[in-house]
Amino acid sequence: MPPMVQTQKLCKSFRRSDGSMVDAVKGVTFDIEKGEIFSLLGPNGAGKTTLISMISGLLAPTEGDATIGGFSITQQPIEAKKLMGFIPQEIALYPELSARQNLLFFGRMYGLGGKELNRRVDEVLAFIDLADRQKDRIDTFSGGMKRRVNIAVGLLHRPQLIYMDEPTVGIDPQNRRRILDTVKQLRDQFQMTVLYTTHLMEEAQELSDRVGIIDHGEIIALGEQGELTQQVGEEDRIEIGLGNRAVPATYPAELQAQIPGVTRILYTPAEQLAEGSSQSTPARLTAFAKRGRTALPQLIQVLNKDGYEIQSVEVREPDLEAVFLALTGRALRD
Amino acid sequence: MHSILNITRNDLRIFFSQRGNLMGLVALPVLFTLVLGWAFGGNGDNSAPRLRVDLIDQDQSAPSAQFIDDLHRANDALVLCPADNDADDFCQLNGEPLTVERAIARARNEDTEALIVIPAGYAEGMASFAPVQIDFYAAGNPTLPNPVRQSLDVVVQQASSAALTTNVLDAVLQDVTVRIGIDALTQNLRSQFATELYANVQTQFADRPDTVRYVASAGEDAASVDQGFGQSTSGMGAMYVMFTVLGGMAVLQRERAQWTLQRLNSLPVAPWQILAGKMLTYFCLGMLQFLVVFATGLLVGLNYGRNWPALMLVMVAFVLCCTAIAFAIAPRVTNEEQAGGVARLLAMALAPLGGAWWPLEIVPPFMRQIGHLSPVAWAMDAFHDLLFFGGRLTDILPEVGVLLAITILFFGIGVNSFRKLLA
Ligand SMILES: Nc1ncnc2c1ncn2[C@@H]1O[C@H](COP(=O)(O)OP(=O)(O)O)[C@@H](O)[C@H]1O
Ligand SMILES: [Mg+2]
Repeated sequence: MPPMVQTQKLCKSFRRSDGSMVDAVKGVTFDIEKGEIFSLLGPNGAGKTTLISMISGLLAPTEGDATIGGFSITQQPIEAKKLMGFIPQEIALYPELSARQNLLFFGRMYGLGGKELNRRVDEVLAFIDLADRQKDRIDTFSGGMKRRVNIAVGLLHRPQLIYMDEPTVGIDPQNRRRILDTVKQLRDQFQMTVLYTTHLMEEAQELSDRVGIIDHGEIIALGEQGELTQQVGEEDRIEIGLGNRAVPATYPAELQAQIPGVTRILYTPAEQLAEGSSQSTPARLTAFAKRGRTALPQLIQVLNKDGYEIQSVEVREPDLEAVFLALTGRALRD
Repeated sequence: MHSILNITRNDLRIFFSQRGNLMGLVALPVLFTLVLGWAFGGNGDNSAPRLRVDLIDQDQSAPSAQFIDDLHRANDALVLCPADNDADDFCQLNGEPLTVERAIARARNEDTEALIVIPAGYAEGMASFAPVQIDFYAAGNPTLPNPVRQSLDVVVQQASSAALTTNVLDAVLQDVTVRIGIDALTQNLRSQFATELYANVQTQFADRPDTVRYVASAGEDAASVDQGFGQSTSGMGAMYVMFTVLGGMAVLQRERAQWTLQRLNSLPVAPWQILAGKMLTYFCLGMLQFLVVFATGLLVGLNYGRNWPALMLVMVAFVLCCTAIAFAIAPRVTNEEQAGGVARLLAMALAPLGGAWWPLEIVPPFMRQIGHLSPVAWAMDAFHDLLFFGGRLTDILPEVGVLLAITILFFGIGVNSFRKLLA
């Protein structure tokens, strides 16, 4: 079976307002197979939205091309777009119109009409469980409800392929759960192909058949989750949250030398969550070890001796976060 | 086509779902059209237009002076050059003498409204009740009403009625003297009597100025009501069309920020269809705006006569022009606020510059020329032609042509950069 989506060396450069160039996507090549959930996992600014914009025909690539079901997105955009439902990261709805009016409008734009249109609208409203609020204006909805309508628009014409760009940003856990279940339902019940972007390791882990990890506009790892975690070896990861005392640059190496079985230690300084915000993530030491549970007591002992305040300790099996850390030396931050 | 109409219908529905938009589309334009219309057309002696008319008195006699006096009385808007020239050289004589040749050229170039020549021998002719010819030159269609000629007609009629009355009375007098057998009055006496009689009749007319002026002033007043609302409907129409249509720039930027524009672009429709749908939206709103304002004019008694098709043509050309400008600028601003600011600034600058607030006919010539940088001026010229000067469809084609040329220019720019808004 030919892949649903094929990209060939996609590149996108933007000109900043000061005249300098940003390479947001640098020669990305990958396939998405029919019927799979493919996740693009990467931190903010990695190039996920730019990439998804190019393969949905919004942005013309600076170089390269992509085919959707065999149609080139640059040469045959209309045919390619008929196959896909694009669900943008923003709530791309008309706030002045009701949920139903929004759905009717976009449905007509897909060429639907008459009874067929009304049936599809009823269907997707039931699917997102908002039939009772369909006559209300979008600007009276909660963030989670808006997100669900946003998704419904992309499902109206029953596309084979769905793009979802960070569909869980800024909503409560309950609505997030609902959306994640919806995504799996699309694959399992409707045999749709899903491209899902996120900066949350847990989401990628739960949903994906295959994952592409993207950073600075490049795919740095690609494959099934098992394959990826094997790439970083069978090592456990020990996450230690530290108090506010700063850690000298040479300390991680010294620490590693004192504890057998630890292959590498990375330090991530404390970071403010947002400018002007009082909240911050604590400084962290991340140690990789074949058997995390045996290395842990020794680690704690040495840290105590050196006078560091330990706030939290966590031992994790190999996961996508570890892959990202191993490849970039940085953490994927929420 | 289906997609284009669907986009337009949806945009219009969103436009009308916002109360504030109805304020801008109906309430404010209607209010300002009325207020300005009354202000321009009202009992404003001071705002009354001044008509520059060359008058050459080759007779320089008491009757010719009387004639000039009567002209003034019949229409106080007349500035009879060179006699009435003021310190600002309203007559535009530049200190040079006014010969008949120069005056004819001035009238032909429409530097003056008209030229009136009182020939030598006028007094003599009047005295002997022989026909005298007053020469009248004016550019433009002689069959159309012209305030100067109307005033002149009144005065000439008055003078000849006086002469006629005198003639009749003189004849009666002679008849009577013959019948009752008195010696015929000497020619000298009779002529003296007739002259007195003539002067008397003239005085009678002058003492009842209302009846005489009635003809002229009724016409004048009617014209000034028309002028007030003619100016205010075309001016406020053009200005609010700019507000409404250029306001589309802000809406486009909002749609870009809320990603509905990009979502449209992710659907199986061509970018040109999205552009066409959006343009059609603002074209419809612009036309609707004009209709609201011109309907207001209709309600207060403005008479568009058979000019509807020509007026519509000007409206279409102007709305197209504004739409093209909006879509040329929209991709070049960065957000909704900036777009709104640019739209207001443009409307508030181009409207007065182009004569939407006061007629360009009253500003100095160089301002009039600068004003024609604004598309508003071309629309106003065409509207004035149709509403005041009896212009027909063919008379406004040049203005419509200019508006369409501006449209094509900006349309080209807009089409090229519209894609920027879609991604
Ligand atoms: N229109 C644009 N102009 C300039 N730079 C852009 C533009 N869009 C995105 N970028 C830059 O490209 C990079 C990738 O952005 P984006 O694709 O939005 O990342 P992500 O969706 O993964 O958070 C960022 O550095 C961003 O600042
Ligand atoms: Mg993004």
